[in-house]
Amino acid sequence: MASSTTNNPNEAWGSRIGLILAMAGNAVGLGNFLRFPTQATANGGGSFMVTYFIALLLLGIPLMWIEWGVGRNGGLYRKGHLPGMFAAIWKHPAAKYVGVVGMVVPLTVMIYYTYIESWTAAFAWFSLTKDYWGITTQEGMVEYLRSFQGIRAEGATVYHQSWTPYAFFIGTLAINIYVLSKGISGGIEKLAKIGMPILFFLAIVLAISIVMMPPQPGIGSSPLQGLEFIYSADLSRIGEPSVWLASAGQIFFTLSVGMGSLQAYASYLSKKDDIALNGIATASTNEVAEVVLGGTIAIPAAVTFFGVAGAMAIAQGGSFNLGFATMPVVFQQMPMGNLLGVAWFGLLFFAGITSSVSMLTPTVAFFREEFGFRRAQTAWILGGVALLFGLMHVQWLQYGFLDEWDYWAGTFGLVLVAVLETVIFMWIFKPENAWKSIHMGADIQIPRIFKFIMTYVTPIYLFIILGWWGWQDAIPILLNERAAGGGPVAAENIPYITMSRGIIVLFAVVFLVFIRAAWKRNKYDDRKGFELADRSGEA
Amino acid sequence: MSTGAIIFMTLSWAFVLGLMAWAFYRLLTHKAHHDPDGIGPKSPPMPPAKGGAK
Repeated sequence: MASSTTNNPNEAWGSRIGLILAMAGNAVGLGNFLRFPTQATANGGGSFMVTYFIALLLLGIPLMWIEWGVGRNGGLYRKGHLPGMFAAIWKHPAAKYVGVVGMVVPLTVMIYYTYIESWTAAFAWFSLTKDYWGITTQEGMVEYLRSFQGIRAEGATVYHQSWTPYAFFIGTLAINIYVLSKGISGGIEKLAKIGMPILFFLAIVLAISIVMMPPQPGIGSSPLQGLEFIYSADLSRIGEPSVWLASAGQIFFTLSVGMGSLQAYASYLSKKDDIALNGIATASTNEVAEVVLGGTIAIPAAVTFFGVAGAMAIAQGGSFNLGFATMPVVFQQMPMGNLLGVAWFGLLFFAGITSSVSMLTPTVAFFREEFGFRRAQTAWILGGVALLFGLMHVQWLQYGFLDEWDYWAGTFGLVLVAVLETVIFMWIFKPENAWKSIHMGADIQIPRIFKFIMTYVTPIYLFIILGWWGWQDAIPILLNERAAGGGPVAAENIPYITMSRGIIVLFAVVFLVFIRAAWKRNKYDDRKGFELADRSGEA
Repeated sequence: MSTGAIIFMTLSWAFVLGLMAWAFYRLLTHKAHHDPDGIGPKSPPMPPAKGGAK
């Protein structure tokens, strides 16, 4: 596998393990260790887990195969970006323009995700240097986090220089772009081969350290009570639609589907390469990181040090407070706590960077394949774009600038991409062709029930999620009836929110212009499709 | 932890760990001539006939 490339003679996965680690690295992100435990806790433990596994089977794994299939099929025509992948499947002039969402979403998410990733790098450093040592309350740590982010309420203590978040963001972005500029096997695969074992090692060390902790004096709760929180055999909420939507949303986010990056990675495979077993290996690796390790760290630690009621309040306060305020307080009370702090934030950093480097892959592929740009040149130009818009997030975080991108691109946009690709691959391409495409070079035979699931159940699941979120969230947020980050919209934030949305629209317009220019430049005929680029599998 | 929670946790962990172990077992034990890692089937399977794979 991966010996023959379809996308470029110089671009291929060096090994199958490297590919799976890169794909799993793409999927394993901050959500595995922060979002999963809070969602499970807030949505009824056992009820959530039952619906979570149903969503994994009906939504997550089928979408994984669909994305690998769309990507590998696009790669056969030397297309590593969604406009090209859609046009390769759907021979209609609109196909390439529909694919613009697959360009806007990953670029937008990469920019703000890298900024959040830079917080983990900063907090790893602060842990190593014991910079927050002595701040032993959650409220104090929230103030510390706000100080780092440059959000300074009147009278609040200032712990950091104003340039600190900028420095960490620029450094984190530079690492991302450097890795990306080194190519598929020389950059992304190497990072995955180094980063993923480190990530699992750190997660296992942390999980063991936390599970072995004795109950704390005066609290009386043990880490096992934290696990009880997530795995409580309470099925009373299984009839609630919100629990089904929460678990489907978690499966959706944890596997990094709808991002365009899995497809871009898969485009570097040939028709002789397996995607059926690779897809399962990737999804299951992500699930182990999430269910086994993600569930064993943050919530059990919070329960041990803050009690059951305290942990419940923390979980309802959101993922970031759990990760950046609760955990530092916990580490200060543990032996070698600063090193455990480095392990925790290092774990989050590696989880983040193996995801963020993948997000610019479709954009780099687009400019390389359609305009003949060199990889390194494209990567650094995109780095400049990411820097420009990323600095706006650093500067205007407190005005809801990031929340808008997180909602429209990082939530709604992902579901939109998934709906479009599922419809195009399973309905327009036809289930027979999709099934055949997924099985080319396959090492396993996927049970045929999944053909039915992928054709009917997965799209219906996605339409329900899109419709529900559209009705519940998208419309009120669009009308400024409530903020994307929750709560009412402050009048002073409206210009920033408008600008934030305007930039996403700007990205879409710019990409549409580039897509049109690419099709004209390369004289593509929408009705005829592209020429096959891969001949390696032919007799 | 209650017995119910232990059962839930055991089943959840067994499912994901079992799935991963199975996937990597298949991946590492199937040799393929077209694979530089030395894994995968001896020859690429043919795409399934119309009507799906048999």
